[in-house]
Amino acid sequence: MIGKRAFSVMYMLLLTLGFTSAVTLVYGVNEERIERNSRLKLQKIVLDVLNVPVPFPSQPSNIIEIFEDRVRIYILNGESIYMALSEDRRDIQGYAFRMSGAGVWGPIHGMMGVSHDLDRVLGVAFLDHSETPGLGGRISEEGFRNQFKGQPLPPERIKDTTYFRVQPPQATVRSPNEIDAVTGATGTSNAVERMVNGALNRYLPFLAELRLEQEELTP
Amino acid sequence: MAGKGVRKLFIKGLWEENPVFRQILGICSALAVTNLLENTLIMGLSLIFVTSLSNVTVSILRQVTPSRIRMMVQTLIIASYVIIVDILLKAYLPDISEALGPYVGLIITNCIIMGRCEAFARSNPVWPSFLDGLASGLGYALVLLTVAFFRELLGFGSVFNIPVLPAEWTRWTIMVMPPGAFFMLGIVIWFVRSLGPKPAPKADARG
Repeated sequence: MIGKRAFSVMYMLLLTLGFTSAVTLVYGVNEERIERNSRLKLQKIVLDVLNVPVPFPSQPSNIIEIFEDRVRIYILNGESIYMALSEDRRDIQGYAFRMSGAGVWGPIHGMMGVSHDLDRVLGVAFLDHSETPGLGGRISEEGFRNQFKGQPLPPERIKDTTYFRVQPPQATVRSPNEIDAVTGATGTSNAVERMVNGALNRYLPFLAELRLEQEELTP
Repeated sequence: MAGKGVRKLFIKGLWEENPVFRQILGICSALAVTNLLENTLIMGLSLIFVTSLSNVTVSILRQVTPSRIRMMVQTLIIASYVIIVDILLKAYLPDISEALGPYVGLIITNCIIMGRCEAFARSNPVWPSFLDGLASGLGYALVLLTVAFFRELLGFGSVFNIPVLPAEWTRWTIMVMPPGAFFMLGIVIWFVRSLGPKPAPKADARG
């Protein structure tokens, strides 16, 4: 006969084994699906910020197909740069890179696309954030994100350039690098400003070098 | 189990001993996920699933579980079900899983579930325990949906993401933010309590 204590320990051990196996099994069955979901999300966002058109509504398989057809991944200093090929697949249409920063409630991760000539922004999108839904969370809405689309980038690469400035929304005329903040979400809007400027300062010099290399390769 | 007993369990879970407005349990998530009905609904369903299945499991094991380690066992059971829910949401409803963020995982610490395991499932047969879990989960979900209905309506002008108020409607930003949840929940509790019988004199003396 086993003592009461020994029984408790054995009982707990067996129960833990049983439940963790069950959880592992459920995860194992769904692992592929979860991974595919997160990959699909990234691919959608990359296509979005690179201005590669995706038919609406589209199936996951469409997205994967378009992504594989039009986007090439280039690893630069250990980070992925996504290059979009133009429609005839001969030129590069633009580059996309990740950006991240501290938001109001937690980190914000996003993606930004710039044109091949590095002279304008193609698009901005957010992968994940924990901003207040309906307030800071509205940075994910097109109304806010589209403000970046097509904005010019100065040709000189000066260190710590403020490429974009987020301003309280007013009915005044804007200079091209001014973006309307999300109403009631100054903190989040400022976080986006820091993120966007930080990412541009970081990646544009790299991308300029990358472009030169590619020009040498293809006369 | 007789139909009368079932009805009694549901009246208790949904009204007489409603976890949210009678016992003030599960408030953390009630405040956090109630600014959109869609998210609230999924949260409520997740909680109903976890509460009823945890109750069933605790009840099945009630004869063998040594009482000195029962809390450990309950936590293990609850945590396992919650992680399963989390995995399923990530796999099949990725957008909602993202919107709910850490709050799905935090169901583990929701006092309603362990409360029901301790107060009911530990000493009752399987079927009544299942119904008790179901009723308590429903009681939680219905209060949250009520709060979410008003928060979404006033804060976004919509119901289940369908705009119902005219575009000129000025959104009540505060309803979207956490303070809105405090106000709404307070009003709901006040309203519900004012419907019930007057508290016994003993309760008055305490106040």
